[in-house]
Amino acid sequence: MSADTVSGKIASGRAAGQRGRYGDLRIALAFLIPSATGFVVFYLWPTLRGFYLSLTDSTLLGEASFIGFDNFERLANDPLFWNSLRVTMLYVVINIGVQTVVALGMAVLLHRLTTSVAIRGLVLLPYLVANVIVALVWFWVLDYQLGIVNQLIDWLGLGRIPFFGSENWAIPTIALINVWRHMGYTALLIFAGLQMIPKYVYEASAIDGASEWRTFWSVTLPLLRPIMALVLVLTVIGSFQIFDTVAVTTSGGPVNATRVIYFYIFELAFERFDFGYAAAMSVVLFLILGGVAIAQLKMLRAGESDLS
Amino acid sequence: MKTTVRIAAGLVAIPLVVAACGGDDSTAEGSGGQISYWLWDANQLPAYQECAEAFHESGTDVQVTIEQYGWDDYWNQITTGFVGGTAPDVFTNHLARYPQFVAQDQLLALDEYVERDGVDTSIYHEGLTQLWVGQDEQRYGLPKDWDTVAIFYNSEMVDEAGLSPEDMANLEWNPDDGGSYEAAIARLTVDANGVRGDEPGFDSNNVDVYGLGLAGAGEGFGQTEWSMYAFSNGWTHTDENPWGSQFNYDDPAFTEMVDWWRGLIEKGYMPSFAIADAGVSMMESYGAGNYAMVTEGSWNTGAYIELTGVETALAPTPVGPAGERASMFNGLADSIWAGTDNPDGAWEWVRFLASAECQDIVASHAVVFPAIEESTELAEAAFSERGIDVSPFTVHVEEGTTYLAPIADKWAEVTAIMGPTMDSIMSFSADTTALSDANAQVNALFQ
Amino acid sequence: MTVLTGTDRATRANDAEPVTRRQINWGRVAAWTALVVLLIVTIFPFYWMLRTSLSNNRSLAAEAGSFLPADFTLGAFRRVLGLATTQEALAEGGSGASVNFWLYLRNSIIVATVVTVGQVFFCAMAAYSFARLRWPGRDRVFFVFLTALMVPPIFTTLPNFILIRDLGLLNTFAGIVLPTLLMTPFAIFFLRQFFLGLSREIEEAAMIDGAGHVRIFFRLIIPMSSAPITTLAILTYINAWNDYMWPLLVGQDESVRVLTVALGVFRSQTPQGSPDWAGLMAATLIAALPIVVLFAVLGRRVVNSIGFSAGK
Repeated sequence: MSADTVSGKIASGRAAGQRGRYGDLRIALAFLIPSATGFVVFYLWPTLRGFYLSLTDSTLLGEASFIGFDNFERLANDPLFWNSLRVTMLYVVINIGVQTVVALGMAVLLHRLTTSVAIRGLVLLPYLVANVIVALVWFWVLDYQLGIVNQLIDWLGLGRIPFFGSENWAIPTIALINVWRHMGYTALLIFAGLQMIPKYVYEASAIDGASEWRTFWSVTLPLLRPIMALVLVLTVIGSFQIFDTVAVTTSGGPVNATRVIYFYIFELAFERFDFGYAAAMSVVLFLILGGVAIAQLKMLRAGESDLS
Repeated sequence: MKTTVRIAAGLVAIPLVVAACGGDDSTAEGSGGQISYWLWDANQLPAYQECAEAFHESGTDVQVTIEQYGWDDYWNQITTGFVGGTAPDVFTNHLARYPQFVAQDQLLALDEYVERDGVDTSIYHEGLTQLWVGQDEQRYGLPKDWDTVAIFYNSEMVDEAGLSPEDMANLEWNPDDGGSYEAAIARLTVDANGVRGDEPGFDSNNVDVYGLGLAGAGEGFGQTEWSMYAFSNGWTHTDENPWGSQFNYDDPAFTEMVDWWRGLIEKGYMPSFAIADAGVSMMESYGAGNYAMVTEGSWNTGAYIELTGVETALAPTPVGPAGERASMFNGLADSIWAGTDNPDGAWEWVRFLASAECQDIVASHAVVFPAIEESTELAEAAFSERGIDVSPFTVHVEEGTTYLAPIADKWAEVTAIMGPTMDSIMSFSADTTALSDANAQVNALFQ
Repeated sequence: MTVLTGTDRATRANDAEPVTRRQINWGRVAAWTALVVLLIVTIFPFYWMLRTSLSNNRSLAAEAGSFLPADFTLGAFRRVLGLATTQEALAEGGSGASVNFWLYLRNSIIVATVVTVGQVFFCAMAAYSFARLRWPGRDRVFFVFLTALMVPPIFTTLPNFILIRDLGLLNTFAGIVLPTLLMTPFAIFFLRQFFLGLSREIEEAAMIDGAGHVRIFFRLIIPMSSAPITTLAILTYINAWNDYMWPLLVGQDESVRVLTVALGVFRSQTPQGSPDWAGLMAATLIAALPIVVLFAVLGRRVVNSIGFSAGK
């Protein structure tokens, strides 16, 4: 059991016995056939088609003609697009920031405090509920006048908060709702990483007289880096695609405070039939996510040597 | 349309959605055959199921299958259906959507059929049939129902405020001091200390019951939010309707109305935009006793009346400076998808839906007002059997104070501009001067 | 750590105790407090769902501040299970839609099970190929597969729908499961991370014994990876169970309609209307129940093994 097992030997595998120039190519391809089929048919082809449509004035229904990079030019001059990027970034930062800290805390607490499987199962419960339903439940719970949270705030003598109605609160509220749904799930992923840290490391740390707090910072966290990076790749990509919660609660408002990029794309494509433009925006999003993922995968690789 | 609680419908799991597939009937053979029919309002489903039964009994060999989807799913399903070739043969259509569908060649023009079968379009309320004639002078739907706007009020609160139902039925409004309408709203507003809005010492920052509820800023449409004030102030959305191309959002008749309307928020008579927009819906807040009155559409009558814990009564919208009341007049219609493989069967069903036989059935369910004048009377009777006096809705039709819902091409783009603009005005982050800029942007769409 | 299950308790006893025994102190109290607060935050919305599901829609607004159900009724559950008549449903603010609950439950089980079995198996094969086999271009191909994580669904949904239609698979189970049956980038990523860490010695020993890759995969890799495979299976099952848009698109027909789609009727009906709150919450609780049962049955093993683990 060593930490570099997770640390993704992305470029690994050159050490052991090579079998000829093509190695295990034939058997590898055979093993890949089903998933490669799925990949080509259900991901690759639609994506290439989407790239093509981003260069057209497609309305989804009528004939589309090729217009080169016009959509991308329009996009650069569309204040709503830049606004949507800004709002999405804000969402991602709050969502990922809080979620990662809370999940990490939760994982460490679960690891150090209890062996109860029931408690560990409990934290996964929110993940069992579909996104839209989660949004609806919180919409009701956080309602300004009727929501139980505001009733409690009022009862405490504080001022009620228009969670979804205020331009300042809307994005943080939506980000935290999704933290609620995913924190237990993320915590359990991190928890698995914690279990991989060899116990002798902790023993050594204890012998050195390090406090729990210090142990966390100087032992746990560095050793957790590979798995944290992996968790981050997955959660950040998911976070950028925030849509359901916005659609259910604020529909992009108040003003444009929650018009996240995905919601904007959706509106353009299916309410305004501006599909070519929506496709162009999707291409940009795709490229952003690609950049973010590559950066994170680099982090992942960097984590390899911490324990050896 | 309104944002706050257009709950969920099509928005789960994976973003970007779209959807459709009209069941196995989409590949039906001609000659009689299968017809799929969609609607979004579950409350009306029983009525239309009864229509379908009557239709089948009428000796037709067309078999109708009805599907109901929630509002948001509905349009996604229709759009995907258009793209994928699986849209329903016949579906309930909405004014805000149909111009785009026409522009995309997705609707079947009905003129030939109407002419062939000699359908009498004069049996419908005036104006409703005209709404469904496109810019190309072709007809894309036969009217099924109509709606207007009225005041819904908590009769207990009105009583306590010393107002009578007669007072409520005879309110007058103007953009300067709000008239007796604003006086009533002020009277109905109560702060945390029990002081009324028109009494000295009223604390506008600490209000328990708002005289008037707020559903949202109304985007560029304002149907239940502000259209009744604007119309009665001599304003209309566009230079002509249907198919206007010059919008009037910068007209003083509109801006002074908006200034007055949002002034109610400053005075503490109406909840702030942040509160209103944050809510699950205006109806829930009204049901909880936070609002004494609200302006609402006739399609929500049943839902309000049946709320427990509050007694609800109706009053017509206030008389404006022009000396008349006003209400937006909106109507739905049934359209045929251009891609149907059974246009004759689809037409047979549409014609039946638009007939007195079906509309009488719908009337008897007391959910909406059918488009046929005589069926409307049946609906009124059915409502009054449920103990609801719906004359505040019908008065507009009788007195000719209805204003047709604005129909324009590119309505989605108009909404994209006007939605955020009205939001920011109502939340006081912009002034009504922002309307001139917005109006210029809207008009630029039609250049 | 192939098997977290058995060693877990022992591990904890060894690694945690020496550190914590010294300090049964306020830090520990604070830690417990934090955990309890987190658990309350986790659980509370579920209580609120339960409370709402036992309420009468018509009374929810008037009794918004109460922690108890508003005008207690089992009507919402009756609606969800298809036991309520249209009149009963409408009287409590529900819709008149008919619900054939047990059929939809069966359909959901079929879909989620088939997707889970297929996806996990095929992705395990792919992950094996990416993690344990050597062939030119392997890492580049893997990265291309990974980009599928970033593909916006707006690109994939419509073409996939049209493909399924052209294959004549609308309203069939095949149409519903096909796009997720063969692969998801997440599943491959997840299993590959795990396979990378498996001990090479055992594999090489097997190879010396003359075992081929197929044999090694089935007899060695899969058994050694039972923990993460179970984990992935559970996550896949949850996701397949909760999927809404795709089955709504291709599986409207009663005979293949899954629970999430069927229970969509409890959401909004009119543009400005409210959903059937009580029905929606009852539907959500009932739809989540089978998965909770699944957890209870697989219990400890699943929860413990969630995560990408690696071999000893």
